Amino acid sequence: MTRNLNKIIWITTIVIIVVGLAALYSASYQNSRISQKVFFDQLILASVGILAIFGLSYIDYRKFYDLAYVFYIVNVIFLLAIFIFGRYALGAKRWIEFFGLNFQPSEMMKFSIILVLARYFSDTKPKIEFSRYGLRSEFFSDFLIPLVIVSFPALLVFKQPDLGTALLLFGIFVVVLYASGISYKYFFSFLGCGLVLVPVLWSFMKPYQKDRLLVFLNPNIDPLGAGYTIIQSKIAVGSGQMFGKGWLSGTQNQLNFLPERHTDFIFSVIGEEWGLAGAFFLIACFFILIMTTLNLVDRANEKFGYLAGIGIVSILTLQTVINIGMVLGLCPIVGLTLPFVSYGRSSFVVFVLMIGFLLSLGKRRTVF
Amino acid sequence: MRLKIIKLVIIGLFLSLIFGLVHLQIIKGQEFYDLSRYNRIRIVPIDGNRGRILDRNGVVLADTRISFDVVVIPQEIKNKEDLFSFLGTTLEIENDKLLKLFRERSAAPFVPVVIQEDLSREKAIILEENKFRFPGLLVNVGAKREYPFGKVGAHILGYVSRINQDKLKKFKDYGYSVQDVTGYSGVEEYYDNFLRGRDGGVQVEVNNRGKQMRLLGMKESLKGQDLILGIDARIQKIASDVLSEKKGAIVVLDLNTGEVLAMVSSPSFDPNAFVDSAKSKERAELIFDSDAPMMNRAISGQYPPGSIFKIPMALAVLDQKKVSLDKTFFCNGSYRLGRRSFRCSHSHGMQSFTEAIAHSCNVYFYNVGLLLGPEAMREYAFLFGLGIPTNIDLPYERVGLVPDATQFFKRAGRSWSRGDTLNFSIGQGDVLTTPIQIANMISTVARGGREITPHIMISIGDVDKKELILARNIDISEKYFEDVKVGMKAAVEEYSGTAHLLAIPGISVSGKTGTAQTSGGKKHHAWFSGFCPETKRRISFCVFLEHGGSSYYACRAARKLLIAMRKQKII
Repeated sequence: MTRNLNKIIWITTIVIIVVGLAALYSASYQNSRISQKVFFDQLILASVGILAIFGLSYIDYRKFYDLAYVFYIVNVIFLLAIFIFGRYALGAKRWIEFFGLNFQPSEMMKFSIILVLARYFSDTKPKIEFSRYGLRSEFFSDFLIPLVIVSFPALLVFKQPDLGTALLLFGIFVVVLYASGISYKYFFSFLGCGLVLVPVLWSFMKPYQKDRLLVFLNPNIDPLGAGYTIIQSKIAVGSGQMFGKGWLSGTQNQLNFLPERHTDFIFSVIGEEWGLAGAFFLIACFFILIMTTLNLVDRANEKFGYLAGIGIVSILTLQTVINIGMVLGLCPIVGLTLPFVSYGRSSFVVFVLMIGFLLSLGKRRTVF
Repeated sequence: MRLKIIKLVIIGLFLSLIFGLVHLQIIKGQEFYDLSRYNRIRIVPIDGNRGRILDRNGVVLADTRISFDVVVIPQEIKNKEDLFSFLGTTLEIENDKLLKLFRERSAAPFVPVVIQEDLSREKAIILEENKFRFPGLLVNVGAKREYPFGKVGAHILGYVSRINQDKLKKFKDYGYSVQDVTGYSGVEEYYDNFLRGRDGGVQVEVNNRGKQMRLLGMKESLKGQDLILGIDARIQKIASDVLSEKKGAIVVLDLNTGEVLAMVSSPSFDPNAFVDSAKSKERAELIFDSDAPMMNRAISGQYPPGSIFKIPMALAVLDQKKVSLDKTFFCNGSYRLGRRSFRCSHSHGMQSFTEAIAHSCNVYFYNVGLLLGPEAMREYAFLFGLGIPTNIDLPYERVGLVPDATQFFKRAGRSWSRGDTLNFSIGQGDVLTTPIQIANMISTVARGGREITPHIMISIGDVDKKELILARNIDISEKYFEDVKVGMKAAVEEYSGTAHLLAIPGISVSGKTGTAQTSGGKKHHAWFSGFCPETKRRISFCVFLEHGGSSYYACRAARKLLIAMRKQKII
């Protein structure tokens, strides 16, 4: 049974990667602004990535348990290093050069956070019995400490500035926290606090981030500035109608109406050229992948694997839904990629690790 | 349990994505599809250059030259502040003004906004060199109308400007559109349909930066046709100089063909002021100037003809056989009608027909007027084209006025009296004529009754339009014309003639003077109209000075005109 689940994960992952490559080929097809190099880059990345997934599936996922804190600390150091050595691009410091390759530590942080949270929650914590302070002990160990673990890197990411990823880290935290079995009392008071904090967060945001949110509420306030992308993206997807304009024939795509369409807005290319049929197919693949993962996680008989699996589900779901949502104009524009489809080395590597982890988890299950 | 809730949340999220997708692609799909089509196809107009205007010797009177315009495309601007401070310093315009201008002229994000037209070459180069630093900044190369002679001939040529609402409404069906430049007054207006180029355009696929990606279709632009005028730039220049600052008009016609060789109206204007956007103040001054420099006095100015009116009256009285050539009237300096006395310039004594014309004797023509009666006078005035348009090929020609009983009663509030007949007979009272009518009438007389519609254009493009010249013969015996011409010749050649000033050795001139009284204590209008029947180029001409004093001044101007033309060996 789990063999079958693994198979489904394999198939959907490869299908998604192939669909992504096809879309990327179209996005960079005979184009002056997006070089075809982007496609070949991703093609190599995909081939290596698939091999890596295969390799990872044979590694015991418990190795990640051992390395969770190391991962986390190294990653935080990288995030700090960005402020010193980071490369400045597209108005933010997100990249760091690592063995001659540009790398985004904030992407990797998603996986690190999942591992460290899963490990933290799965470790049996020594219960300090203070009789009437017992409640407070649960508050500290089950809520406050993990919150700090997440908040510190999230703050660093937010400072880059990368609001999307910072919020995503909290998103992962919320889901994992929920899955960890924390009492609803703490869970909902946390969510409540989060809502209260929204205005505070607002005041910390950069002007362009505020613009994006305002524009999301009404794209027409600035149709040439921040609203431009939303409008053009909606036109692209909408004009695809039922069966699309055909591969390599999307006018919005081929004529460069969409900036960033090879990265964050790759879904608009799919929507425009393959229509509802193609877009639905891709969304269905993601849905199957996520549901299968949930089923697989459900069978895990050990808390670390279970929580890490939930974390991976949460990140896959959030990125897919938010990315497609923003292309459709349903969410504000935050810089989140579409897993395996958007062009981007760091993002791709992180998802390769996650799928590898899942497959390994699926395999180990049968051993137990 | 918690896993189930997570599952439900995920299903909910994905369902909302599907709903969003369906809404966008199916429900609003067609709308977005149309949008995407219009997004990418753009029409880039290509101006069809306006035809040139040339004089009869091929001298260019109006041409189209290259000009540079600063244009900003709103959607491509990256840093508005930088761009505008740069533009401000380069164009020497205050930043606030510039921004205001930009805001006023912005229509849509992708529509280029013209910031300034017709830059100097230096500024255009500065902007062009810095273009790469400021996305959205463009220097467009366009075509500008240029009138090398400036004020000389402005009234014949007219000017060009952007089409206005009225014209657009009228000419929409003829393919004019909002952005079109069209002619105003002069031949620019009259022959606009020939002169204007047909704008072509290319249909291109553009990307988000408006960059052309692919050519979809093309309609070639057509250059307008060149217009060749009968005007001789040299004569035009001479005539302009003769009038210089004096108010008035000069018309010179080719006696053989009816072509207008020169037509000057003074004061004049510089048509270049209408082309250059920076000269708006100058334009406003021109339009509100009380001396009406924009009016072509030669065709739109209506003035009493004074004694020149005696020429058609003389022909009328001969044709009606009311007098014979040797019939004389006695002039003692005035004519008594009832209790009123109608004056003559001198006491001419016994005046024959020829003498009466040469001396411009009022008394003789009072008698003629009474013999003819107002109805016949009107009839003959019309016969010679007074009070009706000459149909010259220029817009805004005025008709003038030949009074009749009804019109007179309406204006004066009383019936026509014999005294009015007397005034009428010497071209006073309500009679109004335009200088072109007078020139045309004198030419008709000079040609012995053959009237040729005066015209400015002699050919357009490759087509010779000479065949289109309209001519008719006035049904009056040739002999009578000769009789009148004898008088007109005597006016110049006799020592006592009113136009003796024009007795220039080597040029035989015939003509008639006119001094028209005006109301309001202003100076009289001065007229001279005549013809040179024996010169190399046979010409007729009319010199008119508005409030010029007396016909003496008109004769003096005519003398200058003829002598200068002789000097340049034109006649």
